[in-house]
Amino acid sequence: MSAGPVLTVDTYSLAYGTSAGAFQALRDVSLALQGGEVLGLVGESGSGKTSLAHAIMRGLPPNVGREDGRILLGREDLASLSQARMTNIRGRRLGMVFQDPSTSLNPTMTLGTQIIEVLTRHRGLDRQAAQRESVAMLERVGLKTPAAMMHRYPHEVSGGEKQRVVIAAAFACQPEVLLFDEPTTALDVITARQILDLFRDLQSETGVASLYISHDLALVSTIADRVAVIHQGRIVEQDPAERIFSAPQDAYTKRLISAVPRPDRRLVDDEASSTGSTLLSGQDLTVRYGRPSLLDFLNKDRAKRVTGAQSVSFDLAQGEILGIVGESGSGKSTIAKALVGLNPFTGTIGFGSSKLTGRRDMDAAYRRAVQIIFQHPDSSLNPRQTVGTIIARPLRRYGLDREAPVAETVAGLLRDVQLPEDYARRYPHQLSGGEKQRVAIARAFASKPQIVICDEITSSLDVSVQASIIQLLLALRARHGTAYLFITHDLNLVRQIAHRIVVMYRGDVVETATVASLARQPEHAYTKALLDAVPVPVG
Amino acid sequence: MSLSYLVKRIGFILFTLLAVSVIVFGITQVLPGDAAQMMLGENATDDALAAVRDRLGLDRPIWLQYWDWLSATLGGDFGTSLRTGLPVSEMMLPALQRSLLLALLAILLMLVLAVPMGIIAALRRGKPTDVVIGLGSYVGVSMPEFVTATVVLLLLANPVLGLFPATGYVPLTEDFWEGLHHLALPVLTVSVILIAHVSRMVRSEMIDVLHTDYVRAARMKGLTRRRVILRHALPNALLPAITIVALDVGYLLGGIIVVEEIFAFPGIGRQLIVAIQNRDLPAIQAGALIMAATYAIVNFLADLAYAALDRRIQYA
Repeated sequence: MSAGPVLTVDTYSLAYGTSAGAFQALRDVSLALQGGEVLGLVGESGSGKTSLAHAIMRGLPPNVGREDGRILLGREDLASLSQARMTNIRGRRLGMVFQDPSTSLNPTMTLGTQIIEVLTRHRGLDRQAAQRESVAMLERVGLKTPAAMMHRYPHEVSGGEKQRVVIAAAFACQPEVLLFDEPTTALDVITARQILDLFRDLQSETGVASLYISHDLALVSTIADRVAVIHQGRIVEQDPAERIFSAPQDAYTKRLISAVPRPDRRLVDDEASSTGSTLLSGQDLTVRYGRPSLLDFLNKDRAKRVTGAQSVSFDLAQGEILGIVGESGSGKSTIAKALVGLNPFTGTIGFGSSKLTGRRDMDAAYRRAVQIIFQHPDSSLNPRQTVGTIIARPLRRYGLDREAPVAETVAGLLRDVQLPEDYARRYPHQLSGGEKQRVAIARAFASKPQIVICDEITSSLDVSVQASIIQLLLALRARHGTAYLFITHDLNLVRQIAHRIVVMYRGDVVETATVASLARQPEHAYTKALLDAVPVPVG
Repeated sequence: MSLSYLVKRIGFILFTLLAVSVIVFGITQVLPGDAAQMMLGENATDDALAAVRDRLGLDRPIWLQYWDWLSATLGGDFGTSLRTGLPVSEMMLPALQRSLLLALLAILLMLVLAVPMGIIAALRRGKPTDVVIGLGSYVGVSMPEFVTATVVLLLLANPVLGLFPATGYVPLTEDFWEGLHHLALPVLTVSVILIAHVSRMVRSEMIDVLHTDYVRAARMKGLTRRRVILRHALPNALLPAITIVALDVGYLLGGIIVVEEIFAFPGIGRQLIVAIQNRDLPAIQAGALIMAATYAIVNFLADLAYAALDRRIQYA
C-alpha cells in the first residue's frame, strides 16, 4: 500500500469530565495502521485501550471533556465528520468486534437479521440478495449449517457460534479497518483458539487492517505484526511482535512481561508434593443440580436433573498445590463448592482419618480446616461490613477470639496479605479489585486452615495484579504449609505453580498427572487440545 | 411453549375462578338480610317470606345452593336479577361489552401516547423535554380518577366550550362519531394514570437498554438512529412494560367503576354499583366473577405475548 496508512492516530489526547474533575484517559497517542497489517494494542484495565477504540469509532460517552489531535481514516479526519457521515462510515469502512458475543447480539432478533441489516444498509442490497449474501458469509466464517443459523436466536447457539456471527457481520461490507476489542476473552480456551484461527484466515484472505485490542500479551504477540503497549493512556512502547518478549525497552513493558504466566518458569519447588501424606481426598464425588418436580418424581423421570460433576476422584497431599483446569461448565467450581458444603454431593470425602459422605458430616473442625476463596471479591465480601468485621468473622466463629485480641489478629492478617492495618476500618468498595481479593485471602487464612480452595481467584484481575496475588499465596504457603486446590482455566498459570493437575471436561475428570508429564505426554485428547489451544509466550 | 404448560396454566385460571366463586358466594351469604327479605321489603309477613324462600330454595343447605348456583353459572345462566326480574346475563353481558370497549380504547390511547413519551424522555434524558414529561407523569400518577375526571370535565365539558358531552353513551353501531364523542372523556380519564405509569416504565427500561452492548454494537454497525432505537432497543424495552400493563389491568378494573359512575356510562362497573346498592345478589356475584375472570385472562395473555416477543422465555 503506497497510499500511506489506512488509519492514523496523530497525537490524540482525550479527557473525560467527571464529578471529581477532568480525567485524562489518553495522552498524545500516535499510531499508524498500514493496509493489511495487524497491530496489537495491549494494556491492563483502565489503561485507555477501550477509550481509544471508542474514539476511533466516534462512539464516545457524552461526558467527553476535551479532545486533542486527529484520528484519520485514509485522509479523512473522523472528528470533523457529521454524525450522519460517521454513521455511513461505521460498519462499511470501519467495523468493530466486541468482547462478549452473548451481550453484543440482540436477544430479540434472529442471527440472520443481524447480518442482513448491515448489507441492506451499506451495500444497498435488497432483502433477498442480502439473505443470500448472509448465508454465504456465515458459511465463510465456518458455521456448519449457515441456512439454519439464519433463523436462530442468539440464545439458541453457542458462544463460539455467536462470535462467528458477529465476525461475519463485521466482515460483511469488506471494511478497510476492523477493531477487535478482546474478541476471545469471554470464550473458553479451545473456542477462543478456533476464533483466533478464523481471525487469522479472514485477515489474510481479505487483507483488512486490524487493530487487535487485548490484555493478553502472549496472545497478541502470536497474531499481530506489531505490538503497542498502552499504560495510563500513553503508548509506552511499539515493537515488532517477535521483539516484544525478547527485547522489551520500556520499564512498564518489562514488568508486564514478567507478570505474564509462563509454564517454563516454575514458581514452586517440586519436591514438596511427594513427601506429604494425603490430607484431603474425594472418591466418586457426584453433584446433581435441580430438584425434580413432583410430576417428574411420580413418573420416575430423574433424568431432568443436571449433573454438575460425575464420579470425581482426587487426592491432595499436605502442602501440595493441586491444579484443576477445565472450561466453564466442566464442573470445577461445582466440586469446589461441594468440598466446603455449599453443594450437596454423593460419594466420599476423606479428611485425615475421617470419611464424610454428606454435608451433615462436616463438623466445625473440617470447616475450619478447609477454606475457600471465590472468584469475585465484589460478591463474596459483604458491602455493608468493614474489612475488619469481615476478617474477624471466622475468628469468632471458630473461637479464635479467645486466644488473642481480635483487633490484633486482624491487624496481623492484614499485614500478612500486605495491606495497611488501617484498612480494617474501610469498606470493600473503597478498595481496588486486587486489594479486595487480598481481604478475601486474609479471611480464608484467619481460621488457620490446612487447605485453601482457590476458585478462579485471579481471573477477574489484571496480569500484574494476578502475579502479585500468586506471589502472596506462595509466600503464605511457605509460612503455613497450606495445601491449595487451585482452580483455573488458565493453563499457563497453573503449570507455573501446581505440582499436579486434574483436567476436567463436562463434569468428568479426564486426566490427573504431574505438571511435567502432562506437558510432555498428555494422555487424553481433550488435554492435548487444551495444551494446543493456549498461546505460550514466545521469545 | 409446551401444551402441558397451556393445560397447566388454564387449569390454574379455572382453579382461581373457583376460589373466587366460593368467596363471592360466601360473602353474599354472610350479608344481613336474605334475598327474600330484599325482594319483599321490611314489612313482609312471615308467610310471604317463607313462600319466597321456598321458591328460591333459600332454606336448603348452603353447599347445595352453591352447587346449583355454580352449575347454572357454568351454563351461562347467572340467575335472575332481584331488582329488575330480568336474567342477570342480559344485564351484565352488554354492560361488559361496553366496558371492554372503554378499557380497550384506554389501553390503545395509552400505547399511542405512553410509548413515544417514554422513548422521547429516555433519548432526551435530563433535558427539559424529559423533565416536563417526568413532571406530567408524577402529577398523572398521583391524581385519583375522581379528581382527574373533575378536571377533565371542567376543562373539556364546561358550558362555555362544550367540546364534549359530560355524560351518557351512544352505541358506535348507531352513530360512530357521536359514540366516540361520548366515549372520549371516560377513556381519557381512565388512561391518564396508565399513560403516566407506563411512560415512566418505558423511559427507565429504554435508558437501560440504550446502554446495553447490543445497542452499542448496532450503532457501531452504522445502522440509522431510527433503526437502532425502534428495531434494536424498543422491543427489549417494551418486554417488562407488558407485565406492568397486565398488572395495571387490575387497577384499570377498579378505575372503570369510578369513571363509569361519574360519566354515567352504562358499563359493568355501574351495573355492579347499582347491584350493590340494591343488594341484587345474583348480579353482584356475576359482576365479581366477570371481573376476576377478566383479570386472570389478561395476565395469561400477557404471559403469552411476553413469550412471543422474547424467544428466551420457554414456559414448561
